[in-house]
Amino acid sequence: MIFSSILFIFYFLTTLLLIYFITPKKYKNLVLLIFSLLFYFLGEPKNIIFLILSCIINYYLSYFIVKYQKKKILKKTLLILGLSYNIITLIYFKYTNFLLNNLNNIFNLNLKIINILLPIGISFYTFQAISYLIDVYNNKHDKATNLIEFATYLTLFPQLIAGPIVRFVDIKDDLNKNHITKEDFSLGIKRFIIGLAKKVLLANTLGEFILKLTTKTILSSWLKPISYTLQIYFDFSGYSDMAIGIGLMLGFHFKENFNYPFIANSVTNFWRRWHISLSYWFRDYIYIPLGGNRVNKLKWILNILIVWSLTGLWHGASWNFLIWGVYFGIILIIEKLFLKKYLEKTKVLKYIYTILIVIISFLIFSNENLDTLITEFKNMFFLNKIPFTDNVTNFYLKDYFMLLAIGIISSTPILKTITKKYPNKIFNILEIPILLIIFLISIAFLIDASFNPFLYFRF
Amino acid sequence: MKDKILIISFLIIIYGFAITLIILPKKTISNTENRYLKEFPEFKLTNDYSNSLDTYLLDHFPLRDNFLSLKAYYSYNILRKIENNNLVINKAQIYKMENTNYKSIDNYYDYITKTMSYLNPNNKVSLVLIPDKNYYLDKKDFIKIDYDYIYSKFDNLDINLIDVRNILKSDDYYLTDTHLKQESLEDFIKYLLKNLDITYKDIPYTYHYYENFKGVYYKDIHIKSKLDTLTYLTNPYIDNCKVKYLENSKLDKVYNLDKLDSRDSYEVYLDGASSFIEITNSNSLNDKELVIFRDSFGSSITPLLIPYYSKIIVIDNRYIASKIYLNLIDFNKQDVLFLNSTLLVNQSFTLKK
Repeated sequence: MIFSSILFIFYFLTTLLLIYFITPKKYKNLVLLIFSLLFYFLGEPKNIIFLILSCIINYYLSYFIVKYQKKKILKKTLLILGLSYNIITLIYFKYTNFLLNNLNNIFNLNLKIINILLPIGISFYTFQAISYLIDVYNNKHDKATNLIEFATYLTLFPQLIAGPIVRFVDIKDDLNKNHITKEDFSLGIKRFIIGLAKKVLLANTLGEFILKLTTKTILSSWLKPISYTLQIYFDFSGYSDMAIGIGLMLGFHFKENFNYPFIANSVTNFWRRWHISLSYWFRDYIYIPLGGNRVNKLKWILNILIVWSLTGLWHGASWNFLIWGVYFGIILIIEKLFLKKYLEKTKVLKYIYTILIVIISFLIFSNENLDTLITEFKNMFFLNKIPFTDNVTNFYLKDYFMLLAIGIISSTPILKTITKKYPNKIFNILEIPILLIIFLISIAFLIDASFNPFLYFRF
Repeated sequence: MKDKILIISFLIIIYGFAITLIILPKKTISNTENRYLKEFPEFKLTNDYSNSLDTYLLDHFPLRDNFLSLKAYYSYNILRKIENNNLVINKAQIYKMENTNYKSIDNYYDYITKTMSYLNPNNKVSLVLIPDKNYYLDKKDFIKIDYDYIYSKFDNLDINLIDVRNILKSDDYYLTDTHLKQESLEDFIKYLLKNLDITYKDIPYTYHYYENFKGVYYKDIHIKSKLDTLTYLTNPYIDNCKVKYLENSKLDKVYNLDKLDSRDSYEVYLDGASSFIEITNSNSLNDKELVIFRDSFGSSITPLLIPYYSKIIVIDNRYIASKIYLNLIDFNKQDVLFLNSTLLVNQSFTLKK
């Protein structure tokens, strides 16, 4: 089930809110757990078993890690056991066929490809479980009070299948308090509507635009990755907004996952603004344990490349994701070694440089077929003999021009800055009607939708 | 106060629609979209079940038509889009944009040459490619099929290519549908017969009307559009001929009037999607016989050819393969007419070879 569906908004959410609010405080977590499992079950009825197993195994391992706090070897063994379980499960479901395919290709083998259905959200909940085990091991926070509290954390449906990657410490208080304020609930509605509009009105429509650019021209080969960059931003940040919004309606405060990434003045800065919870996860659980930057230069470069290869592979079991990760790794190294100081001296160039790097990165990201990727790349940079434009490209550019303009403006803080700088009564009065109209238009788009995938679901 | 207003309004909307959707009686057909609505899906332990349930809810959502209009309004007026679902309205006529599929055009060419190889050398073979109505739309901001490529493709083929582009005009097509209006086909029939070496005769027709015909584009445009009157013509030749349908043995008339109130009223002509029809006319003006390979455009045209032939075999080349129809017909001296629309030429992979 996805948030941008009639089933979710009008039946799942309404039923949950009704039951959640009439349930006494001490049972609220149980209600949330049941609804989170139901949410997962409606989308993946068979794979729910792996989610439940993950809850039980990780909870009891953390329980024993705390219990045998003073027995260092046993404690470490339990942690390794837990990490192994999570990593092996993830590798099995996500990377088995990728590995088999590559072994077949490299060694000319004929290993049989296994029919494995990737459990939705496994990359997210596995990372949450790993962070929880490591944090409990390092005494960074208390363990969950009981299995229900832990399972509620791990399966919490707003962030279960597409993030943000929430750490136990960030919502432990919310899990205990179960306190919802009018202000939070109202803010939650706002965030939900904005997220829904980002997804339905912008991301989906941009996706349609890309599908319509069917002819090969230089202009269309630029428009496609530009639109895809905007699409994936609105798709994913829209989902995060909806997750944060639903969280607020239920009394949870998730951290922000995006902060206007396209106004970044360097790639380093971009990754502090894009999928923040993932960047910080890799920083805290891979990069720093590897030694971070407190090692010699060669080891430091290697650390960065390891982290970014893993970041790439986390997004999918395909070579283009690995290339995508390494691409960012290399650029970050170049930036940190010497480019950053030159970029800082420029006024506009640093923004153009960053957005170009990002657009090309999403060209790599969106093309699992490497031949297509090379062709698209050549098309962009005049290396193939194709016309600059044609009537199909011109027509759809004109047809979707307003959408592109709205998309570009909405991806920057321009509107936010204007409303903050020039607060006025009219905007204050109109805010609610505008939000409700946006909500109804989003519903209209859902009703007539032929294109409503979530790009980040496959991760 | 502001928070309270937003919370109450939001809750009223989500609970209001949720309850109304449950209470409202469920329709089986959408009149505006001209299609069957989904039934409540039986529970299955599959990943797709929630999608099926969502599709059902989407189909029965309260004020569905108003929401569809809201989307169209937003697309045209806020996003300033030129098209909605690839459709454009110009002077009440709805046009669909179509990109050229060159592979499909080549495939259609191969289909014609292959089919011609099954025929008898005595068959006189003609080809009529009916342009989509967007051919007549003189608008810069519009994407249409490469008509010149299609017609030039058949220039060198040994076939009687009857180019009807200058005979038809956009008014000859229904406003909300792809097809030609039967009552507007007089010039077309005259020109066609002339090119088939048949003498045209001015035969009076009786006109029968069916109001508020909603064509195939109507369901996707979502803004108020003018409806057509569907007209079907009869005369003694059409009334008295014998008609045999391969799939519908109960029907023996040129028109199936039961279809007028169906989802697609255009199916009144020759029962809609019929793969093989045999029409015998003992009172014909000539002794000639005709075999027509056609798509849905042929449905409204064929009845007007009945007076001129003693026998017409109508083959829908989308639904019947050569190995079947070759067992049903002996090709000898008949006239053979390929009567297809450029829409089919551009999507020809559905053809049965």
